Amino acid sequence: MVGMVLPTAFLFVTAGTSRLARQDGWISVLLATFVALLIARLVVSLSLRFPGKTLFQFPEVILGKWPGKVVALLYIWWYIHANAEIIREFGSFLAAAFMPETPLIVFELLIMVIAAYAVRNGLEVFTRVNEIILPLILGVVIILNILATQEMNLKKLLPVFEYGAVPVIKGAVMPAVWMGQIVTMAVLIPSLNKAREAHRIAATATSITGFFILLVIISDLATFGPQVNAGWFFPGLNKIRMIHLANFLERLDPVVMAIWVAGGLVKISVFYWAAVLGSAQWLELEDYRPLVLPVGAILLALSIMAHDSIMDLFVFLGTYMGPYSLTIFEAGLPFLLLVVAVLRGQGGARP
Amino acid sequence: MARFIIPFRIRLPGRGKPKPGQDSIPGDHPEESVISSQELQNLDLSADLQTNLRRIRAIFSECSDVIYREFDFAQDERIKLALVYVDGMSDKIQISAQIMRSLMLDAPLVESEEFTRARALTLIKKKLLPIQQLKETNNLGKIIDAVLEGDAVLLVDGHATALINSTRGWEARSVEESQTEMLVRGPREAFVETIRVNMSLLRRKIKNPNLKIESMKLGQVTKTDVAVVYIKGLANNKLVAEVRERLKRIKIDAILETGYIEELIEDNPWSPFCTVFHTERPDKVAAQLLEGRVAILVDGTPYALTVPLFFVESIQNPEDYYERSLFSSAIRLFRLLSLVISLLGPSLYVAIVTFHHEMLPTSLLLSLAAQREAVPFPALVETFIMELAFEILREAGLRLPRQVGQAVSIVGALIIGEAAVRAGLIAASTVIVVALTGIASFTFCYSASISMRLLRFPIMVLAGALGLYGVICGVLAILVHLATLRSFGFPFLFPVAPLSAGDLKDAAVRAPWWAMLRRPRLVGMAHPRREATGLKPSPPPARGK
Repeated sequence: MVGMVLPTAFLFVTAGTSRLARQDGWISVLLATFVALLIARLVVSLSLRFPGKTLFQFPEVILGKWPGKVVALLYIWWYIHANAEIIREFGSFLAAAFMPETPLIVFELLIMVIAAYAVRNGLEVFTRVNEIILPLILGVVIILNILATQEMNLKKLLPVFEYGAVPVIKGAVMPAVWMGQIVTMAVLIPSLNKAREAHRIAATATSITGFFILLVIISDLATFGPQVNAGWFFPGLNKIRMIHLANFLERLDPVVMAIWVAGGLVKISVFYWAAVLGSAQWLELEDYRPLVLPVGAILLALSIMAHDSIMDLFVFLGTYMGPYSLTIFEAGLPFLLLVVAVLRGQGGARP
Repeated sequence: MARFIIPFRIRLPGRGKPKPGQDSIPGDHPEESVISSQELQNLDLSADLQTNLRRIRAIFSECSDVIYREFDFAQDERIKLALVYVDGMSDKIQISAQIMRSLMLDAPLVESEEFTRARALTLIKKKLLPIQQLKETNNLGKIIDAVLEGDAVLLVDGHATALINSTRGWEARSVEESQTEMLVRGPREAFVETIRVNMSLLRRKIKNPNLKIESMKLGQVTKTDVAVVYIKGLANNKLVAEVRERLKRIKIDAILETGYIEELIEDNPWSPFCTVFHTERPDKVAAQLLEGRVAILVDGTPYALTVPLFFVESIQNPEDYYERSLFSSAIRLFRLLSLVISLLGPSLYVAIVTFHHEMLPTSLLLSLAAQREAVPFPALVETFIMELAFEILREAGLRLPRQVGQAVSIVGALIIGEAAVRAGLIAASTVIVVALTGIASFTFCYSASISMRLLRFPIMVLAGALGLYGVICGVLAILVHLATLRSFGFPFLFPVAPLSAGDLKDAAVRAPWWAMLRRPRLVGMAHPRREATGLKPSPPPARGK
């Protein structure tokens, strides 16, 4: 039930990003998916060694009390920070693309109120919401891309490897960051009904995510070509804006907004929930609900204060988020933990 | 427990105390005749007829509808009898013909030694009372209850035992066609106000000893009959126990309608959505029972409750199961669309007209702009006014005396619709949207349409403030809320979330009967199989092969 959270969460954020690799962007995505699959494998293996314990609890077992606490605290920070970035992104998109005169905080506040309500009611609630939203979103994405095929030209994807492999790898960093958020599995696994299937769920979720990002990036590139894409914040949106159907469906961008908001809600909720749960477990509280509002306030404030403008946000996401998130939290720390756990022979017998 | 009840003092003895066993408050008995039900339970009859009658008269003091008829047995002055019943609640013909006539006139006029006072009771019971249902009691409390339920109580002098004759019979509505839930194809009958008749309507549909009807009395003052109905073996035992438990919890003075019970047993009392289903159609209740649900019947109302309720049921209708599946599925999808329209119609209109002009084709936009040019209000205010006017009209339509109906419909249609547009107060397009929304809200389940009516207004405000973003957020908030809801512990959004692929056959569409092999997974778990496989009909093989 729970495993379905992940795809949505990571789906739509990529639509406007990752332009470093030019027309080879799709290769970057493939690469990133591969990296994310590795991360998923790593994280799930690690998590399954400590059944019933989340990412915030097992570092203590592995590293001892204080180092473990520090690692858990780092993860809580990461969840809060990453979520603040997500919220910022969420609001920026809406403000920039649809309602430029409305202050950012209005968008963010409203979605945060709903997310807080969902988080307060527990994981089960927003996974159920996700179960309803996800098929709709996937369906709409596919339909929109089919409608846009008229404008596409696959020749724009050529030539392959025009600038060599280095930009492709650089371009892969960003999608890998998003898909690497599969590390959240380590928080979710204790809540799964069928923890044994976690490997399969994580792999499926990552693959579906990868597939959809691939689909979107190919269609974006095929519609506009790399130069135009790199110049826009949200090429996906502009692509949808080009759809004309039967003289009636003129502008479908509100549909994009709908899936963006719906997907954003689930994603924000998952990270929000992880941050709140982590804080509660770190403080060894029985119930995480008293923390929902304080953490929400921190998230909101941080998301507003983090960046001056949307340009700043994009620069940050493009340059710093990659090494910061990917190397430390998504790959580095889990790998370190797994190595130590194996060396010290902790956790279940299954590797 | 006692804090659920407002202490009340009434003159009806036995009804004044909320709960047996509760400590009596000093000064709670202003008069001697007020006796608590606790005391009544413990009070036995005496052998002396006059003492008994005096006691009963004291309890029923100032109850002018209670009849006491004293007479002699078989014209023999040695044996005195008395009959106590409530006028209008018992069958008078039965009382005079079958009780009094047989005891006074038809009894053999023998003054033999056999007819002693000592043997009178046994003789009457065994030989002389041609009444189908007869009970014996020596408890005063039971006698009072029996009289109040319409039974005639026969007291025999010299015996501390009374005979309760089942003579219930009162003026009641006969079984009629359902007034609120219409069908083209399907049974017409609806429940009535008498619980026994309602039980029989169900029993006639499900002729099975496993159809269980558990009776209880709720309401300390009204002592209303309430019945829990389920099919043993199909209904989940835990669910039945839960229903029983929640009903037992109820300590209230009166139950006048199922709504009282609904509000006292639902899982989410503050939700705008109703999580207990109510219907007046026996066929609907029977279908629910056959899926493993539990029904609650209440005396005095033609509505029955069934639990649990799932949200998808708001777009379902009994007729879906009687009409062919292809057509039913299409109609259900239309109902789903109506549900969306009735929730979002005005808010989408407001959002598009206020913020998102680009969504409309140019020609439509131009004609809209031309209409709205003369209108003095912003779209939100305009739509709000019209929605309010529609709600007022709707409420008036429900309450007005039938004779003035014509006037209201003319005023409503002409003045509010036509004249408002002509006067330039309201754009014609707004009227169209509001009218469509109003009509759409009648196509699906009434209780769901109430929720939609309620939620329409906050979403309109969101739409007016934030455009489509507001609408989407509103819908998401409702979705999150729906996901938190439970109906008797069952997730309200089942079978969509949690997803149960097999049950989607009977959600937004309906699969043909031969394909719906199983009962709904959550409620029908006890006995999932509904029918044999391979029932799909096909033409016979062609001849000559």
